[in-house]
Amino acid sequence: MRQAAVSVGLLAFLSGCNRHQSALATFGAEAEGIRTITIALVVGAVFIIAIMVGIYWRAVRAPEGQLTHKQGMRLVLWLGGIGPTILLTVILIFALPAMRPRVTAPGDLTIHVEGEQFWWRVGYERPGGGVLVAANEVRVPVGRTVAFELTGRDVIHSFWIPGLAGKMDMIPGRTNSLVARADKPGRYRGVCTEFCGLSHALMAFDVIAMEPAAFYAWLADQSRPAAGARQGQGAQLFAANGCGGCHAIRGTEHDARIGPDLSRYGDRLTLGAGILPPTIERTADFIRAPQDAKPGVRMPAYPQLSHQEARAIAVYLKGLK
Amino acid sequence: MKRGLPGWAQRLRVTLWTLIVPPATWAVHFLFAYLWAAINCAKVGRFATFPTLFVAGTVAALLVILASGWIAWQQSRVPGDPAPHEESTDIDRLRFLAKSTLLLSGLSFVAVIFTALPVVFIGDCR
Amino acid sequence: MSLHAQDDPELRAAQEARLREVWKPPQGLFLRWTDTNNDRVGVWYTLTAFGFMLFAGVLALIMRTQLAVPDNDLVSANSFNQLFTLHGSMMMFLFAVPMFEAVSILILPQLLGARDLPFPRLSAFGYWSFLLGGVFVAGSIFFNEAPDGGWFMYPPLTTRTDLSGLGADIWMLGLSFIEVSSVAAAVELIVGVLKCRPPGMRLNLMPLYAWYILVVAVMILFAFPPLIAGDLLFEMERLLNWPFFDSSRGGDPLLWQHLFWIFGHPEVYIIFLPSIALFAMLVPTFARRHLLGYPWIVLAAVGTAFLSFGLWVHHMFTTGLPKISLAFFSAASEAVVIPTGVQIFVFIATLWAGRVTWSTPLLYATGSLAIFVIGGLTGVMVAVAPFDWQAHDTYFVVAHLHYVLIGGTLMPLFAGLYYYWPLITGKKLSDRLGRIAFWMLFAGANITFFPMHFSGLEGMPRRVFTYPAELGIGGLNLVSTLGAYLFAAGVAVVCLDLALSPRRRPGARNPWGAGTLEWLEDPADDAHWGVRCVPLISSRYPIWDQKDFVKKVDEGRFFLPDAEEGRRETIITTVLDARPLSVVRLGTPSFKPMLTAVALGGVFILTTFHLYWAALVCAFATLFMVLWWLWTGTAEIPEKECKPIGHGMKLPLYISGAAAPGWWAMFITMMADATAFSGLVFGYYFFWTRHADFPPEGMDAAPGAFWPMVALAVALVSWALTVAARQLNAAGAVGVARAALAAGAAFSAYGVYAGLAGPWLSGMDPEAHVYPAIVWTLAVWTAAHSGVAVIMQGYALARSIAGRMTPKYDADVRNITVYMHFFALTALVTYATIGLFPGVS
Repeated sequence: MRQAAVSVGLLAFLSGCNRHQSALATFGAEAEGIRTITIALVVGAVFIIAIMVGIYWRAVRAPEGQLTHKQGMRLVLWLGGIGPTILLTVILIFALPAMRPRVTAPGDLTIHVEGEQFWWRVGYERPGGGVLVAANEVRVPVGRTVAFELTGRDVIHSFWIPGLAGKMDMIPGRTNSLVARADKPGRYRGVCTEFCGLSHALMAFDVIAMEPAAFYAWLADQSRPAAGARQGQGAQLFAANGCGGCHAIRGTEHDARIGPDLSRYGDRLTLGAGILPPTIERTADFIRAPQDAKPGVRMPAYPQLSHQEARAIAVYLKGLK
Repeated sequence: MKRGLPGWAQRLRVTLWTLIVPPATWAVHFLFAYLWAAINCAKVGRFATFPTLFVAGTVAALLVILASGWIAWQQSRVPGDPAPHEESTDIDRLRFLAKSTLLLSGLSFVAVIFTALPVVFIGDCR
Repeated sequence: MSLHAQDDPELRAAQEARLREVWKPPQGLFLRWTDTNNDRVGVWYTLTAFGFMLFAGVLALIMRTQLAVPDNDLVSANSFNQLFTLHGSMMMFLFAVPMFEAVSILILPQLLGARDLPFPRLSAFGYWSFLLGGVFVAGSIFFNEAPDGGWFMYPPLTTRTDLSGLGADIWMLGLSFIEVSSVAAAVELIVGVLKCRPPGMRLNLMPLYAWYILVVAVMILFAFPPLIAGDLLFEMERLLNWPFFDSSRGGDPLLWQHLFWIFGHPEVYIIFLPSIALFAMLVPTFARRHLLGYPWIVLAAVGTAFLSFGLWVHHMFTTGLPKISLAFFSAASEAVVIPTGVQIFVFIATLWAGRVTWSTPLLYATGSLAIFVIGGLTGVMVAVAPFDWQAHDTYFVVAHLHYVLIGGTLMPLFAGLYYYWPLITGKKLSDRLGRIAFWMLFAGANITFFPMHFSGLEGMPRRVFTYPAELGIGGLNLVSTLGAYLFAAGVAVVCLDLALSPRRRPGARNPWGAGTLEWLEDPADDAHWGVRCVPLISSRYPIWDQKDFVKKVDEGRFFLPDAEEGRRETIITTVLDARPLSVVRLGTPSFKPMLTAVALGGVFILTTFHLYWAALVCAFATLFMVLWWLWTGTAEIPEKECKPIGHGMKLPLYISGAAAPGWWAMFITMMADATAFSGLVFGYYFFWTRHADFPPEGMDAAPGAFWPMVALAVALVSWALTVAARQLNAAGAVGVARAALAAGAAFSAYGVYAGLAGPWLSGMDPEAHVYPAIVWTLAVWTAAHSGVAVIMQGYALARSIAGRMTPKYDADVRNITVYMHFFALTALVTYATIGLFPGVS
């Protein structure tokens, strides 16, 4: 146990300071509640370990016959049977009510998220009706109840924003609901936690918690077409190479729903579902050889594009703000 | 049979099958609870605030466990030498099975209560 | 043969010579592998499982190396997925479960004072199946074709043939084959514990190891078959496109998760309890006293076994099931802690009350207890559903499960290794190397897995081949990797210790001064008879408590000290009180088990490669082998009715019906069969709860009620004819009994047609929707059983005609009647479900 104590200290030192994807650094009410439960359970566990070590130490050093048969049976009954029963009952009485999900009201924001190999289709229900489609980025208003409606398109994925709430699986043919409330604005990260194929490790997304006013302004702004250059070489190449066969860009003729929506690619914080910085260079590389960044990705490679052409498309996409 | 202990409870033939009556009762109750909730939620979408069927099933399970525990307790009091019962005699084998059944009744009783707790604390199908 | 007779040393020498001759293992390059004696087969089994453990451990080391630093590219995503899938699958299916079976086959007969287990050839068959299936599954990684869907193989990722390759089939079929061998071992061990105990060893005197093994073997019967049912559905989706898990055609991926975890959670206890059973043997030895609280251990084992079947959904806490359902399983997951706590305190109390002598095995036991307690406490944490919503599928769970399995399975096995090595080889292992290895393993396990609690909560999901540096968990992962190498080095030291063993001098008999029967084994003697004579037991620790016990056994003063007829024999006793019932003749070395395993392996392996005709040939070869094996090796009519076993006792050489081991074997096998069947029935009703209209609109006319009812009537008639044949045969009306069997076989044959006629004639297309698919599955399952009934009834008829079954020697017809009882029940459930339920719902 001394070893354990030393390693705890060492780990605190080693573990760095991940503030954006951790169940211990919370920004939502659900995750905070679970964090409290975690701390209580850990404290209890440490306490029990200490008792067990003490008892075992005593037991192996005791002279023969120090414990009679009757006393031994009493030890087993109380420490092995009744003690744990009481402890576990207490745990259950506290844990069961904590399972009840937050209650939603009719006006609450609903966000549909669909997991696909290996990206996220996101749809925000607009206050006025209709759904705003986006990809690989989830924005939530702080202080408001948000209901995520989750499903999987091809295989099972799992939606996890550690700082916000527990995870929920995205299962084809089923729609699961996860209700949560963010409390602290900031930029965070979510990941897929159900093994979903080759690039399961490379399936993440950005989470941005915003003040409600900013959020609703953003939502309204997103609904209009992007400002970026409609003309130019990049846009032509995008159309000529059939990118619009899979991707949609609002305000253009491209409205396919197979791949991620690219309407506001210029606003994205990451490329390839939360894995790469969305620079022009990286974007161009991704267009030519997505497999290099993401094994098993569904998007075909475009080796026929010259580096310069791919760059032109990337510039076009980056301009969509 | 001394002091008017119920004779039938002591004479009942205990076997490996009677040993597993209490935990099997838990298992049946557990399955019942699971199916009751699953079918209610899938087919009706909710259940009543006071679920009569569930309460009846739980009480029945507890009664069966108490009964087998009581019989086991009676049998463990068949006269003989003190614990531990580790002689190769009929009495010791009987008292060993009785003691084990009694302990299993205790565990099963707690487990049935545990299984009933969720219905108290979680009132809907979400 | 009175006690006095055994005073004669010449008689004893003659007896020993005869026994030695009878139990002599076959020699020769090939023939030696036909051995069926538990001491040989057990050693092969143990070594093979150990080898698979080392292999799977190396896979883990490669994974840890890949994860040592962020954004590493040592192995590709594809290789990594194969690595973790194979690591988990092998540790579970090729190491932990077979290891418990192996150790039990090795030491259980000795523990029970029996010459061997009741079906030695079945053990050998199980071993060869295990070896073949294991090599097939493990070898796939060298062809880059290993399964890569995780050890849980969740569809649709694994059932969609565009997303997964041969690996998924290798996993399903290869491991199904191994599951067959596990069920075979379960049959062997249950019958062994219940029927092969020495006279006087009543239930309250049984060694605790035997209690645990009994409980675990029964668990296997209820845990493995749902997985076999799941495998069946899974392969029908992959090979035939029946949409059980395809949501676009009414299927549901969650059905697989249910079936898998109904197996998967009891599985954890299936591998945990036998290791704790080793504790229950060695703790009293090193506390120098009887285990305190024997009934408490029985409570714990039986209680755990039951509760472990109410935990499976805690692997599915994040699947979006109603919270109330989750809560039931959360509650049961907490309840199962109670019996576990009881066991730990029984050991502590025993050590406290006794005089502890420190030894390497006890050191390992102590270390594993410490690790296990940590794993158990994190287990309580993840049983709390809200906490699990965060921890699930993260490295926290990786840490938890490795603490549980290293503390609850691996380290106790090392304790058992150091404890029982002298029993098997006659030589103790090095205390010095053992201690060095222990500290390396103990420190290695903690350094590897303790940091994972943190990396998990810091957001590291499971089954990722890499992770970004920004996550800040590089340091934690590096520590884990270093720990893994330290752990591996510890295992290497153990292996070194084992390798040095042949060079060491033989040690004393019973070197630890233990009190239980297995230590009767004298390493100085190379006899293979298991035990010199079958002792009369009057204590839980006979070597400690019974006067001159070892000497009396050595001098053959108990039962069955001779092998006059030159046959391998052991005593069958009653279940509760171990009263002698009969002497049973055991199977001798034979190549039939091995060839049967090869033929059955052919069925599974060739199906993997879609070579259906060749697989069918293998299936017929398997059937032929099984029949040949049974015809020549079972229910043999003895040359005389009874034989003396000493002390003036005479026992019959043939028993049939509910007292006989063969009857029990059939009963137990059919329990497993019925459990698999209920897995399929569960599927039917599961789909009913999933759909608002099931059967769906437009499909509900099929299969109709007519044909299912005809099939049911036919099945019941066939059953009644078999029961009648049993009664008539016993009453001496052999001719009428034969006629009843023949008529029964004819009805069963017609039952195959009638069973399939419903879905067939109503044109149900199993590829269209899950409803016709599940109806077809139930119908095919039952029709196949009807086909097996034809074989069974024909077999009994043939035995009767060949004079191998008579009114007195009637085991065959009694055993097939057990099959027919279960068949009638299967037919009743199937035909009522597919024929009548659509009308009801």
